[in-house]
This record gives sequence, C-alpha cells and structure tokens, in this order.
Amino acid sequence: MLNLIRNENMKTYRRFRTWIMVLLLIGIVGFGAYQINHFRPDPANWKQESAETIKNYKSALNDNPSMQNRNYFEERIKLEEYRLEHDLIPPDNTLWGSVLDMSDLIVLVTIFTVVVAADSVAGEFTQGTVKMLLIRPHSRNKVLLSKYLSSLLFSLFLLIVLFGASYGFGGLFSGFDSASLPHLSVGSDGAVHESNMIVHTLSIYGLSCVNLLMTVTLAFMISTLFRSNSLAIALSIVVLLLSNTAIHLLKGYSWIKYYLFANTDLTQYLNDAPLRDDMTLTFSILVLVGYFIVMNLLTWTLFKKRDVAA
Amino acid sequence: MNEPTVKLLGVTKRIGGKTLVDKVSFEVPKGEVFGFLGPNGAGKTTTIRMMVGLMSMTEGDVLIEGKSIRSEFEAAVRHVGAIVENPEFYKYLSGYNNLVHYARMFPGGISRQRIMEVVRLVGLENRIHDKVKRYSLGMRQRLGVAQALLHKPSLLILDEPTNGLDPAGIRELRDYLRKLAHEGNISVVVSSHLLSEMELMCDRIGIIQNGRLVDVRTMSDFVNAGESSRYLFEVNDPAGAKEAITLAREAQMTPEGIEVTAEREEVAELTAALIRAGIRVYGIRPVTKSLEDKFLEMTGSDRIA
Repeated sequence: MLNLIRNENMKTYRRFRTWIMVLLLIGIVGFGAYQINHFRPDPANWKQESAETIKNYKSALNDNPSMQNRNYFEERIKLEEYRLEHDLIPPDNTLWGSVLDMSDLIVLVTIFTVVVAADSVAGEFTQGTVKMLLIRPHSRNKVLLSKYLSSLLFSLFLLIVLFGASYGFGGLFSGFDSASLPHLSVGSDGAVHESNMIVHTLSIYGLSCVNLLMTVTLAFMISTLFRSNSLAIALSIVVLLLSNTAIHLLKGYSWIKYYLFANTDLTQYLNDAPLRDDMTLTFSILVLVGYFIVMNLLTWTLFKKRDVAA
Repeated sequence: MNEPTVKLLGVTKRIGGKTLVDKVSFEVPKGEVFGFLGPNGAGKTTTIRMMVGLMSMTEGDVLIEGKSIRSEFEAAVRHVGAIVENPEFYKYLSGYNNLVHYARMFPGGISRQRIMEVVRLVGLENRIHDKVKRYSLGMRQRLGVAQALLHKPSLLILDEPTNGLDPAGIRELRDYLRKLAHEGNISVVVSSHLLSEMELMCDRIGIIQNGRLVDVRTMSDFVNAGESSRYLFEVNDPAGAKEAITLAREAQMTPEGIEVTAEREEVAELTAALIRAGIRVYGIRPVTKSLEDKFLEMTGSDRIA
C-alpha cells in the first residue's frame, strides 16, 4: 500500500503542472498579504482606535436598549477592554491578520486538489496507462484507495504551503514580533479566554476541510464515472463555485437542506446563523456522512466492476 | 512436470446479446511460444484482456500457475508479464521512473540492478533517463517489453509485440522470445496479424475467428499439412511446356511457368521431358504455401466479423 501511494505521489510531484499550482498559490498569498499590509490601519494607533470602538459600541447600546444583536456588541466591548488591559494588539494589525484572511484561499487549494484527484483516475484511462496499472498483483480496491489517499495528502501539502506562505509573508510585511499573540474569545461563562492562535487557525482550516473533502470525493466519483478528467474538473468546480449563490437563492425551499453544499459550511452553526432554521449541526453531519458513503460506494463499485476496454 | 503455465477453460464473453468470445479453451505448456491468430475483431484482444483480469468473463476461467484469475487475482497475475495492445506510459516521467513505478508494485520489490539488467536487455540504456514523451514508438515498445519482464514472469503475454519495431528490432525480439521460452522455461502467448512473423516465432498456433477457436496446430503441421509436393518449373514458354508434359500429367500455367504435382523422382524425368521438347528451364522449386495463404484459406478473408 505504501508503495502504491509512493507511486501516486511520484506521478503527482514529477509533473511540471503541480509546481505551477504551488507557485501560483504562494504568489497569490504574497500578493494578498502585501495588499492587506498596504491598507491596514497604522498599528501604532491601535489603542486609540480600540478605545474609540468601545465608546461607539457603548453609546449604540445606550441609545437603543432593545437592539437585536446586543450580545455581539457586548462581547466585542469585553474583548476590546481585555485587549487594552493586557496590552494585546488586535490580530488584524499583525501577521495573524494575513494568516486568518488567507484561509479563504482554501477554496483554491480545493480546486487544485480537484484537478489532481480527477486526473489521477481519469488520466490513467485517457493515457491508456490503466491497462498497465491494473495487471499488477494489487486489487483494484487498493489501487483506487492509494489514489484517494494520495490526493488527500496533496491537499494537506497545499494547506501546509498556504499556512506557511501566509505566515511567512504576513511576518515579512508586519513583523514577527506578534507571533505569540493569543486568540481571544468570550466563553459561555461570559469571561474572556485566551487560547493559542495556531490552534484557532487550525480549527478554521479544519472546518474548511469539510468542504474540501466532499468536493474532492465528488470529483473522484465523477472522474471514475465518466473517465474524463476535464468533465470531472469542470463539473466539480462549477458545483463548488455556484453552490453558494444557488443555496441562497433557493433557501426558501425545504429540500435545499438535503443538498450537499448546503451542509459543508459548518461555521454556520458556530456563528448561530444556519441557512435554514430547521437545520442543526447533527442534521448537517448526518447529511455529510450520507453523501460521503454513497459517493464512495458508487466510485468503488464502478471502478471494481467495470471492464477496462480502452 | 510439464504442468501448463496457463489454462483457458471455456472462456466466454457476452455483452448484451452479442457473444464476443465463445468457449475458448487452450493451454500453453512451459517453454512454448503460442501464437494467437485471427482477423481484426475476432476476439483476440478481448481474450487477452480476460486472461489478465482487465475484463470480466461471462463464463469459464483462466488458470495461471494453477491460480484462478477470477477468484485469486493477485496470486495469479503476479506470474504474468504483459503488453496489452500498444504499451502506454506516463509521458512526463522518464523511462526509468516508469519502470520504478511498476517495480514498486511487486511484493518484495525489485532491485535497481534488476531494472538496469532489463534495460540493457532491451537496449535502452542510453535513453532510459529521458522522458517517455521523447521516445519513438519503437523505443516505447522496447520499454513495454522491459516492464513485462521486470519481475521474471512465468507467462508472458504480448499483444501485437512487433508493432512499430524496425526489422532489426523485430528480429531481436523474436530471437529473444524464443530464447526466453526455450531456456528460461517460460510460456509466451503472442497475438499478431503479421502472419509471417508468427511463422518464425511460434511453436504452436491457435486460430480464432468470430470469437471461436477454430484450430490449434503446431507450426510444422500447419505449414506442411495436406501438402502433396508441388513444383514450379520456370520456363520461357509455359504453353509449350504444358503441352510437352500434358501427356504425363495435369499442369497448371502460371505467369512464371507451370506448376505440377509430382514425386521427387518424377521431377528429374519431367525436366528431361521439357528439355527434350526444346523448352528452356530456368529454375525448379517446391511450392509451399505460406502461413498467410493458409490463414486466408481458413478464415475466408480479413472481413471484420
């Protein structure tokens, strides 16, 4: 099994294309970090700005005692006061601002992984190499699993590159002196808690990986189904990119909650703003697990049973 | 001792209502080169794909070293080295890395020395580190042979192996296959429609037509069977020659001269008779039908079934 994964990795990393993707990712992060740095407020004035924010929020609360998102403003005030008290600069002014903002680029990591995953199955068929690959003493199950795992390893590699690049460029433009800044949050007890910023970043990455995993699994399935890499890549990316718009247009219909990409964004429950009121975290997890099992079952059965005639 | 390396037991493939391969059975003992011959679309490649597990069979089984390709795929296929139709490689990898790729897929692994040994064998040592996209068809064919031999298989299956090789390459491959089979004690199954090639390469030949194995014969049977000696006399005047010997036997005119069925001793007498009649005789030679003639005779023509 290990050797099969090594083979898949060799086929991925010995391609020029792969390194173009990596360079593109690093380039975009670099450019983005530069822009963020360019437009961010002067870090020297943060205390003054923080004090102003507190004042504004407080007066807003006083003026309008019945406002809806009172909680949000109260929490923000607590956090800002804590910052001033402990002399903790807001992350937006530091390299962490770059790291957190750049986590949006996980969508790019997803797209690149889709390209690699789709090609790893369908590419064997279009190149004709599949008939050389499947006459070795390994079951088709093992061959397919090695491709799946290798694709996920590739996404892990890109995530590490993304984190490293956004941390590196962030530090380059904003300095590394805030590297040990803690993440602040208001717990259910109403008190402000400090936690490790890296752990916080990883949890954001982790939640985005739900989307990544499901999209890659989808691409894998389409690629096995149609044996065409371009179709698998195009279809997965279109579905991925148009889903957000479509979901919001269609959220009035109750069936939309069974749609895969209505459930991949689990942050909707952390922010207490689910797409539909009848959706819960448990519901979404069940839907995700259901899709995952069905898509993989289809992929595996097809790959195992089908004649290789190309 | 001579348990066959591969045994086909009533292999059948039906897709929809169409029977592509119909109850094909044969076996190949150790050390034999078996030729698999048939017009396009007769089911050669389908049969070969079933032998290596790329296609499922509707009925029957294939046993390789006694292991069923259906129920013990991994145990059976490890004895097989194969090229199915054109060899295809990862074009962005070097020839060497392509071999490493397949070498890694054998349990226990294959040493670097073995890889280089096979590379030298097929004569690719100077170009093996080039990317495959820079290879000619002939070089890819050689690399195909290399990957098939990597793990010292006991059954070598080659589908149209001489495709794209130059005459020197074909000759080399032919000699090498015969050597492998007869000294290395492995079995070789070759399919080809280069009939003249089969004649020189194979010990036995099976003819497949419309999915059915119509005949299996040894090579020498094949070429000589039913052949009463027929001789061609090259003469300056076929018509005159025919007349000169027509009293003795029936002769057939050809553009070069006349063809006569005769015993060896009679040839001398016929020659004398021709010369007496004032006919100039330029040459006398036995006429054997080539495999190609035989083949076309048996299968009708190269119609696609």
